[in-house]
Amino acid sequence: MDNVAPLPAVERPAGPSEVMAASDLVLGFGDATVMRDITVAFRRGTITALVGPSGSGKTTFLRSLNRMNDKVRGFWRRGEITLEGEDIHAPSVDPLVLRRRVGMVFQRPNPFPMSIQDNVIAGVKAHKMARRSQLRDVAETYLAQVGLWSAVADRLNDSPFRLSGGQQQLLCLARALAVEPEVLLLDEPTSSLDPRSTEAVEELVRRLTPELTVIIVTHNLAQAKRLSDNLILFSEGQLVETGATNALFERPKRQETARYLLGEAGALIRQ
Amino acid sequence: MSESKKTAQLAAGPNAPERERSLHGLAQRLLRIATTTSAVIPLGALVAMVIVLLIEALPAIRYNGWGFLTGTQWNLGSFYSPPVRTGGVLHPPDANYGALPLILGTLETSAIAVIVGFPVAVGAAIFIVEKLPRVLSGLVGLVLEILAGIPSVVIGLFGVFTFGPWLARTIYPALSHLPNVPPLDIFRGDHGYGQGLLSAGIILAAMIIPIIAATARDLLRQVPEATREGAEALGMTSSEVFFTVQFRWIRTGVIGALVLGLGRALGETIAVALVSGSTLQLAHNIYGSTTTIAAAIVTLLDSSQSDPTGFSTRTLSEAALVLLVITLAVNVAARLLVRRSARGAALPVGVGF
Repeated sequence: MDNVAPLPAVERPAGPSEVMAASDLVLGFGDATVMRDITVAFRRGTITALVGPSGSGKTTFLRSLNRMNDKVRGFWRRGEITLEGEDIHAPSVDPLVLRRRVGMVFQRPNPFPMSIQDNVIAGVKAHKMARRSQLRDVAETYLAQVGLWSAVADRLNDSPFRLSGGQQQLLCLARALAVEPEVLLLDEPTSSLDPRSTEAVEELVRRLTPELTVIIVTHNLAQAKRLSDNLILFSEGQLVETGATNALFERPKRQETARYLLGEAGALIRQ
Repeated sequence: MSESKKTAQLAAGPNAPERERSLHGLAQRLLRIATTTSAVIPLGALVAMVIVLLIEALPAIRYNGWGFLTGTQWNLGSFYSPPVRTGGVLHPPDANYGALPLILGTLETSAIAVIVGFPVAVGAAIFIVEKLPRVLSGLVGLVLEILAGIPSVVIGLFGVFTFGPWLARTIYPALSHLPNVPPLDIFRGDHGYGQGLLSAGIILAAMIIPIIAATARDLLRQVPEATREGAEALGMTSSEVFFTVQFRWIRTGVIGALVLGLGRALGETIAVALVSGSTLQLAHNIYGSTTTIAAAIVTLLDSSQSDPTGFSTRTLSEAALVLLVITLAVNVAARLLVRRSARGAALPVGVGF
């Protein structure tokens, strides 16, 4: 696609290669500890996949990166998470500002009950990031970026719920991108989509880097292999192994990694 | 074998025994008759009611003319003088009816009820769903439902003996000293003793709040967590999240509840009869004593029945007809409003009204 509008320029500090990092992170709900001693860094402009068996704590970890767990009953945390070197739990950090900088797209498409155009610009409007007269252009820019513009150009005022599941998810991506985040968190964004829509989302994610840093939770090891630069394997609330995706698939250091990546699930990919 | 019999047999399956097949057909027919009847009864009742009311009110409509809607006098005429006949309608001499105070009283008290009650009801629903701990929220919700079922005469008595006088002692004096600028200047003036337009409107508000709040609460609980998290993930404040997600999600249903509440307010009889001051005159200010169509009908019925010509009760039927028209008009207007506001923002299939 060559008619895709470029991502608007965002001022980025030319700092170290790490955008986000967690150190000695422990997460839990009530009496239960869900994640233990996680120390990991996310490199600027890369795609990092979080993989691991169900219940390994991937999603809890992802949701703590933009403090979406704050309101969850009984949630607690120890250790530190940083964005551009700054502790995201410092009193000076406004979680609302943090969430603008660290966007998120969820497992199932969750459009707002308003028109397609209003969906895209909902965040832009709330944060007054554009003049009223510019809003339509903003909507077009981001719908084009996610490859949805030609499909919805003549029905911007229609309900998003008449779109297909894949189109709805692209709309949610457009909505998240419109507030110009620095990091994008994706929580199994294609798990409810058909193969063609999955491909569209993956292609978009690839296009978004290196301007954006992407962290994606996925159950689909093939997707992790296709898409990600780096891989983090979690199991039972602990970090098992992390490294470049190719290296991990070809020369896993730990037996557990080998078993998970190259075991039954892995065997399918190698065929 | 006739053509229709053949099809019936095919439908029941070629191997089904003859008797079972005919029983099946009979049950089908009975069910259809029963459901059709149930569907027609309410419609028939409404039509019958309108026709009877119209027949009863027709002589009054002819004699009273358009003046009924604009006049402010409610004069029964002289019951003890020989009746006169005007244009074929028999009535006491000097009978002269104008229902403007009743009509305005009805619209004004209901308007106050909505203006006061709607924000409170929606606010209460938000508070119950978002802020209260789960245990308390159940309890408060239960109280709300009990409140919706309190007989209006009880509320009316409470209003006339306790709540109205309390308002006149504490709230109204402050209101009547608001600055003399529109629209606040409508609150200025003699605030009376707590029986009148504003007190009736506030009592009506108290009666429609439980209806709207309970509906809004149920709708708020149906808002998907995922949609709301989507808004939070964009860095929206909780009020922005509310207006982006919850408000739009519940809007159509809440307007439906508002229509229901408004129907109750427009037609409320005894509570308003007790609290409005129940006088057949235009309220001299927002605290002034007045009445509504429904309240007037119940308070005037007794004296009207001593009209030897029966014209007075026919006039009450005309008033009832006006109330019916107002209620229907409000209903239709609200439905149109819902349709307009929902355009382009349709909810997923099966959500909303």
